[in-house]
Amino acid sequence: MTGQRRLELAWADYKDSNCLRVCGWTVAELRELGDLPGAELSRRLAILPSELVKAGAQMQALQPLAGRFEIDRDAIYFIPRFPFLEGTSYSLLIESGPGDSGINNVEALTIQLPARSSPPTTRVVAIYPSAHELPVNQLKLYVHFSSPMSEGWAARAVHMRRADNDEPLEDVFLNMEPELWDRERRRLTLLLDPGRIKRGLAPNQEAGYPLIEGVPVVVIIDAAFRDAAGQVLQTGAERRYNVVPPLRVRVDPKDWQYHCPTVGSRDPLTVEFDRPLDHALLEHSLWVNDAAGVPLDGRGSIGTGERYWRFEPQLPWEEGRYVLIVDPRLEDLAGNSVIRVFDRDLMREEDAPADARQVAIDFTCVVSTPAQPL
Amino acid sequence: MTTVDISKYGLEVGTPAIKSVGPLAFGPEGILFVADNLGATIFAIDVDDSDSVSEPRPLDVDNIDTRLAAYLGCSREDVFIRDMAVHPSSQNVYLSVMRGSGSSAMPVLIKIGADGTLSEVTLEDVPFSQTAIENAPAQDDERLDTRLVQGNREGEVRERDGVRYRVARDRLRTATVTDMAYVDGLLLVAGASNEEFSSTLRRIPFPFDGNTLTNSLEIFHVSHGKYETASPIRTFVPYGGNASVLASYTCTPVVHFSLKDLKSETQIKGRTVAELGAGNTPIDMVSYMRDGQEYLLVSNARHPLMKIACKDIDQQESLTQPQEPVGVPRQTLPHKGVGHMANLNGSYVLMMEQDDEGNASLRSYNISTL
Repeated sequence: MTGQRRLELAWADYKDSNCLRVCGWTVAELRELGDLPGAELSRRLAILPSELVKAGAQMQALQPLAGRFEIDRDAIYFIPRFPFLEGTSYSLLIESGPGDSGINNVEALTIQLPARSSPPTTRVVAIYPSAHELPVNQLKLYVHFSSPMSEGWAARAVHMRRADNDEPLEDVFLNMEPELWDRERRRLTLLLDPGRIKRGLAPNQEAGYPLIEGVPVVVIIDAAFRDAAGQVLQTGAERRYNVVPPLRVRVDPKDWQYHCPTVGSRDPLTVEFDRPLDHALLEHSLWVNDAAGVPLDGRGSIGTGERYWRFEPQLPWEEGRYVLIVDPRLEDLAGNSVIRVFDRDLMREEDAPADARQVAIDFTCVVSTPAQPL
Repeated sequence: MTTVDISKYGLEVGTPAIKSVGPLAFGPEGILFVADNLGATIFAIDVDDSDSVSEPRPLDVDNIDTRLAAYLGCSREDVFIRDMAVHPSSQNVYLSVMRGSGSSAMPVLIKIGADGTLSEVTLEDVPFSQTAIENAPAQDDERLDTRLVQGNREGEVRERDGVRYRVARDRLRTATVTDMAYVDGLLLVAGASNEEFSSTLRRIPFPFDGNTLTNSLEIFHVSHGKYETASPIRTFVPYGGNASVLASYTCTPVVHFSLKDLKSETQIKGRTVAELGAGNTPIDMVSYMRDGQEYLLVSNARHPLMKIACKDIDQQESLTQPQEPVGVPRQTLPHKGVGHMANLNGSYVLMMEQDDEGNASLRSYNISTL
C-alpha cells in the first residue's frame, strides 16, 4: 500500500456526524480494503489521539478510537463513536501487510480539529456568606456562577489565603468527589473539612480548625475555573472575611425579632435573625401561611448578610393570625440547625436535639389607628 | 436480548436518558445500578452479560486510563473513572467513565473483558428502570417529597377542602450519591446534600416502586464522649453475610452499624470503631474471605491501604473516649495509590492503582497475599 499516491485527511460531515475523510487512495488499494471484512479493516486502519500514538507503539494492545470505517466512492470515512474533540490532534495509522523485510509498515497521518476561540463570558456572581465575619467553625461556602460550570475544578481553582500575610491556608476545604453542585451546575457548595471542625475528632486534634480565630482570610476563585463550554472565567473573584469565635448553639426562631406589617398594607414582614444563616437553605426554609394553613402568594427575599428575611404578600395583609413556618433543617454558618448543634457537647442538656418537625411562629399584623379628625 | 426476566424486576426496554455516570453496584442477576448525579436518578440496567467463567482468573490492565483515552478519542486528562464494579457471574469488570467535561462531557459505561479488551456497554434499547433521588425530606415532614411554594411562578396548583395551594417538587436541594450497595432487595444509597449537612442513607426497594425509605443515621465519634448526628457517608461496604455495614464518613471516622437496625423513619446509632486521621479521605472499601475469616480493605486519599479483620470490628467497643491507638486494630498494606477496589470472584481483590506519574492501572491480588 505504499504505491504512488498521496493520502489526505480532512474533516467531513458524513452521515450526520463530524467524520474523518481519507482520500488519495489508489484504485487498487480501495479495492483491496473494500474486500476486507470489517474486523480486518479495523486492524489495517486505526485512529488514535496523536498524543497517544507514541504510547500506542509501546503498548501493543492499545485499542484505537471506537468507531467504524466505511468506503464511499474514492474515499474512506471514519465515523467515530465518540465525537472528535476541538483542539485535539488525531492520527490515522495505516498498517500494510508485511513487505520484503517481513515487518509490517505503519504509516501515520495527523490532523487537528481546530478549537473555536471566543472571549470568556462566565463570571462569579456571588460568594456566600455575604457577611464580613465567619465563625472559626464555619462549615460551608457557596459560589454562584453566571453560567453552568464544568466539574472537576473546585479543588484546583478555589483557595483560601490569610489576609494578613498572604500565606495560603492548606487543606481548608474537604476534597469532595463528586463535587456538590445544584441542578443547573451554577452553584458550587464547598465544605470546610468537617473532621477538622468537630471537636475531639482526630483531624481536629491533629491539625486544628481549618480557620484561625482572629486571622482574616480571603477566599479566592481563580479565573482558570472552567465553565460548561470549557472556557475560563472573565475574571477571578475573591471575598475577605474576619474570623470570629465559634458558634455552637441551635438555631431558635424564638430568638428572632419579628417586625410585623400593618393591616391593609403590602409592607413586608421582616424577620431579623440573631445571627447570619445559611443562604442556600434560607431560599426555601421559610414561608408564611394564613390562619387556615394555606401559604400566601407573595415574594420572600434574603436581607443583607443573611441576617434578615422579608416577605411581601401579593394581597394586602388582613386582620387575624398568620403563621411563619420554619423548616427545621435551616442552618447557621457553622452547620447548627433548628434541630441540632453541629458537634453537640453531651454534657450540655440545653443542646439536646430538638423536635424535627417544622416550627410554626404565630404573628398578627398591626392595626393602624386612623388619625383622629381634629 | 436479555438474560433476566424483565417483568420480575419491572424493567422495560428503552434507552435510559443517562446524563452522567457515577457510583455503580450490581444487583440481582447481574442488573447494574448506575447513579446519575447530574440527572438525579438511579438507573437499573440489564447489561445482558452472559459470559461464562470456568475458573477464577485475575485481571491486570496496565495504563487503563491511557487505554480508555485511546478508545474514547480524548486525552488522558479527559478520562474520569468514577467507579468500578465486577459482574457477579461473568466476572467482567465494569467502569463508569465520564469522557470530557462541561457541556461536551459524555457518560460511558465500559466493560473490560477477560483479555483486557474494552467495549462500550450499549444503552440503546436495553431493559431498564429508574428512580429519582430527590433529596430526602426531614423526619416527620408531612410534605413528603413535595413542598409548598409561594407566589405563582413555580409549582402546580392543587385544591383540598376548597383551598387552593401550590406544590412543587423540591428541586433546590440535590442529593449527590457517593456510594451504593445492593442487599437483599434493597439498594442502599449514601449521599451528600448540597445544602444541609446531613447523613442520609436511603433504602430503595428494588424493583423500584417509587417509594424511598429514608434513614437518618446517628453516629458516635471519638470525641471525649461528645456526640453528633450528621455527616455524609463517603463509602461503605456490607459484610458478615449482609448483617453489618462498615461506613466511612467525610469527617473520617469509620462506623459500624447493623442492617437489622435499619428501619424506616428512625435514627440509628452507629458505633465508631476507628478514626482515619487528619487530611485523609476514604475512597473505597471491599470485603473478602481468607482462611474462613472476613476482612475489609479501606483505601484512602492520603493514608496507606488499611486492612481490618471483621471479628475485630465486632469486638470493638464504641469509641467514646480518647485513646491511642484510635480504635480497631488495623494493618497497613504496602499497595500504593489504591483508589477503587472490587472483589474479583472471591479469589482476587481488584485494585485501581495510580503510580507517581498519575498513570492508573488495574491489578489483581490473590487474597492469599492480602
